[in-house]
Amino acid sequence: MNYKLTIGWLYPELMSTYGDRGNIIVLKKRCEWRNIGVQVLNLNEGFKTEDLNKCDLLFMGGAQDRQQKIVSIDLRKKAKMLSSLIEQGVPGLYICGAYQFLGKYYKEADGTTIKGLGMFDLYTENPGENIERLIGNVVVDSKFGRLIGFENHGGRTYLGENVKPLGKVLKGYGNNGEDKTEGAIYKNSFGSYFHGPILPKNPKLADHLIRLALEKKYGSPIKLSPIENSIEDKARKTIAKRLNINL
Amino acid sequence: MNFSIILLGKLFSKLITLFNLGGGATWPGHIALILNENFIKEILKNSETKIILVAGTNGKTTTSKIIQHILKSDNRTTLHNASGANLLNGIASTLILNSNFFGKIGKDFAVLEVDENTLPLALNQLTPDFLVLLNLFRDQLDRYGEVNTIAQNWKKAIEKLPKKTTLILNANDPVIAFLKGNGQTFYFGLDEKSNFSQVEDWADSVFCPKCNSKLVFTKVYFSHIGVYVCKNCEFKTPLPDLTTSYYPLLGVYNKYNTLAAVLTIKISGIDEKVIDKTLKSFGPAFGRQEKIKVNGKNIQIFLSKNPTGFNESLRTVKNARSVLFALNDRIPDGRDVSWIWDIDFESFSKNFRSIIVTGDRTYDIALRLKYASFKNVIAEKELKKSLALSIRKTNQNETLYILPTYSAMLEIRKLLTGKGIL
Repeated sequence: MNYKLTIGWLYPELMSTYGDRGNIIVLKKRCEWRNIGVQVLNLNEGFKTEDLNKCDLLFMGGAQDRQQKIVSIDLRKKAKMLSSLIEQGVPGLYICGAYQFLGKYYKEADGTTIKGLGMFDLYTENPGENIERLIGNVVVDSKFGRLIGFENHGGRTYLGENVKPLGKVLKGYGNNGEDKTEGAIYKNSFGSYFHGPILPKNPKLADHLIRLALEKKYGSPIKLSPIENSIEDKARKTIAKRLNINL
Repeated sequence: MNFSIILLGKLFSKLITLFNLGGGATWPGHIALILNENFIKEILKNSETKIILVAGTNGKTTTSKIIQHILKSDNRTTLHNASGANLLNGIASTLILNSNFFGKIGKDFAVLEVDENTLPLALNQLTPDFLVLLNLFRDQLDRYGEVNTIAQNWKKAIEKLPKKTTLILNANDPVIAFLKGNGQTFYFGLDEKSNFSQVEDWADSVFCPKCNSKLVFTKVYFSHIGVYVCKNCEFKTPLPDLTTSYYPLLGVYNKYNTLAAVLTIKISGIDEKVIDKTLKSFGPAFGRQEKIKVNGKNIQIFLSKNPTGFNESLRTVKNARSVLFALNDRIPDGRDVSWIWDIDFESFSKNFRSIIVTGDRTYDIALRLKYASFKNVIAEKELKKSLALSIRKTNQNETLYILPTYSAMLEIRKLLTGKGIL
């Protein structure tokens, strides 16, 4: 069977600051290497709400504050559709700024509160400009093996009862530097602070997203053909060794 | 007070050099600033030295070096801070080493390059006669933060400058062109056929710095550097005062460095005839397109430390046959290597016959190349071995192009020249 996937990339022009477009490159290539037809739909400011319906998999990255403001105005108009897709289990990956924005609210360093889209049961607070940002290499234990990445965020995120963490922090800070949680899972949507970007060095998670998208679209269990990951393994080992962690 | 600081600093510096301890370019200043946080301000207060301050993400060292080269050719005396000593402690050290014991500097010009985060702090300590601002790109987000944050801090600091400071700004970078001081302002920019008609989707400053609307670009020279207009508030590329020159170095980005330097020189009152003549004798700053010959083979080093710089290096060496990419993640390089995914490897030819990757993050760059469909990439963690292998794989009539991050560049130069940093 010839599988086809459409990946919706939310705001590539605005929300692509920390090399997060690497996630799109990885999803696209890992489909192509398996002869899965793949199309990336760029959903920029002012995109048609119906376009969201064409997407089998969603991705949104982080951004600078100014860009984030522009996005929040645009995305609010499309919140209903996005929310219904997330509820229906359309898989998605939301990194850093996007992850925070899908929560209930974000309290800025100066105390201003920005309402989130409320799709994830979590909230984020920035403790103030004089408090250190959470920056560095990070490793967490997850269902998809040990995830390796780089985090760089001022906001501290706290999870509610209706979401599960993506992983347990082994090295680094994760959601808030206190409770050892990192990221969030709600249905088939994943939020995380991981840059690096997250998917190149964590191919299991990349393949999980592709499989979820295919199964959701075609309605039957799917087994993906294996891909050789030796460079990935070596890149992972470099960081693990430095942090004294076994993989 | 400052007398003892200078005495101590000079002595300290001698000891460092004598015992080869390293860091001689920053430690004396570091101590000076602990003893007197206004050291820089006080030393410069009564000085007649004209100060040229150069800042921007890419091109500081090259621009400063061109300025200095022309000044020297015109028999002006200059002082400058060594590359890598562009924080306040580096500036203070430079002043200590270049002044007499009474803090008198006695040079015609001080050409100082400053780090992006240091610029506002430096402007609290000194008032430049000329402030040259080149560009702002994303670079080491873990250390510098986001481009908009830096731009905001610059804006606030520059608005407070007195009338005496002349601004020399890049007309083609929206966030730079938007800056306003209280003295005269001059702009440099290109006015030629552009490489692209659209900004790449990951470029940093594609929104109007004044009203946040999306800018319309009619020309793009690279990244977000081009000719633009905001349809909402009419903010647009200012008319440049200088658009062309003789260019001693390859690459579009070096055209900007040259224009910035030449415009500064022209404004500072140097005879124009000197400029063209001396530009022709200009040699690159270390690691910036520097050519080295080893075993009869040509090697050229292109320091490539952020996505924009790396893309421009790739564009400049696009016909290369043999390349070495060296990716480190130490403090001067930035600890976060996510930026390699913003390099547009996909757009460049896959004609390299030999591609070798090395550095602390060898396999991260190898992985990036795997996903950009580069074949036959050799990963060699040991820098020394990778260098030997790269040279071996380069034919006699070819050039080996090395694209390293900052700390990798220093190591490579040391290995190739046996001379260390300078």
